[in-house]
Amino acid sequence: MKKVLILAGISALLTGAVVEAQQRKSQPQRQQAIKQEEVMQVLKSSFSSDPRFTWKIQQDEAQRICSQYPSREQMPAQAIQRVIQLSQAEIRYPQWGIYMGDWKEGKKLVDSPRGGRFASYGFSDRPTDRGGNCYACHLIEKGVPGGTMGPNLYRYGERWGITKENLNSPETVEKIKAVYNIIYNSWSAFPCSSMPRFGYHGSLSPEDVANIVAYLLHPESPVNK
Amino acid sequence: MRKKALLAVFTAGAIAGGLLSTKAFAQVEGELSPEEEIRLVQEFNRMLAEGINPGEIWYEVGKEAIKKYNLDKCDLGLGPGVFKGAAAQLPRYFPDAKKVMDLETRVGWCLQQHAGMTQEQVLNFVRQCWGKTGNCVSEYDGIIMYLTMESNGQKINVNLRDPNVKRMYDIGKQIYYARLGPWDFNCATCHAGKQEVRIRATKLWSMDRPGEVGSAVSIFPKYLVRWGLPMTMHYRYSECMRQMRWPEFIPHSDLGVALSTYLYGSANGTEIKAPGIGR
Repeated sequence: MKKVLILAGISALLTGAVVEAQQRKSQPQRQQAIKQEEVMQVLKSSFSSDPRFTWKIQQDEAQRICSQYPSREQMPAQAIQRVIQLSQAEIRYPQWGIYMGDWKEGKKLVDSPRGGRFASYGFSDRPTDRGGNCYACHLIEKGVPGGTMGPNLYRYGERWGITKENLNSPETVEKIKAVYNIIYNSWSAFPCSSMPRFGYHGSLSPEDVANIVAYLLHPESPVNK
Repeated sequence: MRKKALLAVFTAGAIAGGLLSTKAFAQVEGELSPEEEIRLVQEFNRMLAEGINPGEIWYEVGKEAIKKYNLDKCDLGLGPGVFKGAAAQLPRYFPDAKKVMDLETRVGWCLQQHAGMTQEQVLNFVRQCWGKTGNCVSEYDGIIMYLTMESNGQKINVNLRDPNVKRMYDIGKQIYYARLGPWDFNCATCHAGKQEVRIRATKLWSMDRPGEVGSAVSIFPKYLVRWGLPMTMHYRYSECMRQMRWPEFIPHSDLGVALSTYLYGSANGTEIKAPGIGR
């Protein structure tokens, strides 16, 4: 009985070793890695060659870094630092400095699903509308259907502790600035996030962003009711 | 009997579609009213419950069109005119064209070889129903539907040991993760991740969850109730890229082939069940 077991054990060890060796042998020869230029060449040849569109497939440095990693968890600290550094340098503020805009205007921009989108096939390069299509990814106002890709923003201003009383305090201005930065260039706070860098690409102007901030944070906005 | 029922549903759908399409590009801009949306969802549920898929109508259209455009000489990799199971082993490398091609790109190539079309004519042939709703029946959609349905029940089997195919697979994978365009999206923005997420009411399939890429690609062309027509894979790519604010996608381009190779290659082993049906 014992002998059988030992034999079985030895044979298992042997097969294990053989299988491992085979695996090592059958591993394909290291393929030549695909070069970045090859990928860009495929992309360039596959889109409308209209010169008005070509800027859209020029990758900037931050996009190039983010393309290398499937998720932020797999990014080395150095790459994260670089994206934050690039993104923070690109934030512009409204002419009159940081302020809370008009939440009613902000609501329109948040609602529009067509921002930055083009008329149709054979479209012009003029966006049909402005806006962030925020509901695609976020739940914002209670009772309005939204997506779950981004964080839930119910009562966002209330959660930041913004009330009628402290609306103009220096602490609130700091909070407004933090939210402004996220909307204007989300990668300054969350590198390589799924959220577009709306202000950086000019989809939204600094004033638009200030209006959206007001929609999210103002105590009178329906978000905080 | 079943064909008749299908035809009846199709006619009803076409009439409803005609009414809907007075609102031109209704689907493109997402301007369906809540009432229309609810009606379409109910109709979709009814069709699912009764096992009716109007997409099957395009099978007959395609069968006729194959004769009309001399596509019975088309070689999808198993020999001229052999269509049973051919779609399941695509994309593959074709020595005659010296290129890796997926089903749609190969059909485009065959149209140029055997039907005397120019590349421009093929592209117009492909896009004739793009952006339209209701009673738009395109022979191209029919051809793709016919060729895919001939492989129903077969398992997707893309030969990734072929170095040319593997190269296209790798390019496709890099494009899948390439952050690009004025809104910084890549394919993985929506279709990756371990946790299930929604965009508005739409659940997104993920490359990172086992089996989901297979169930997503194995049902194309997919009949969309709200548009009243089937959507082919390259139309799907085009729609995705439009939503991503990328430039206008050219069907049958290398980008389409690279994505197909990556998606179908990752879906190896999944049974083809065309046409799918969606809201």
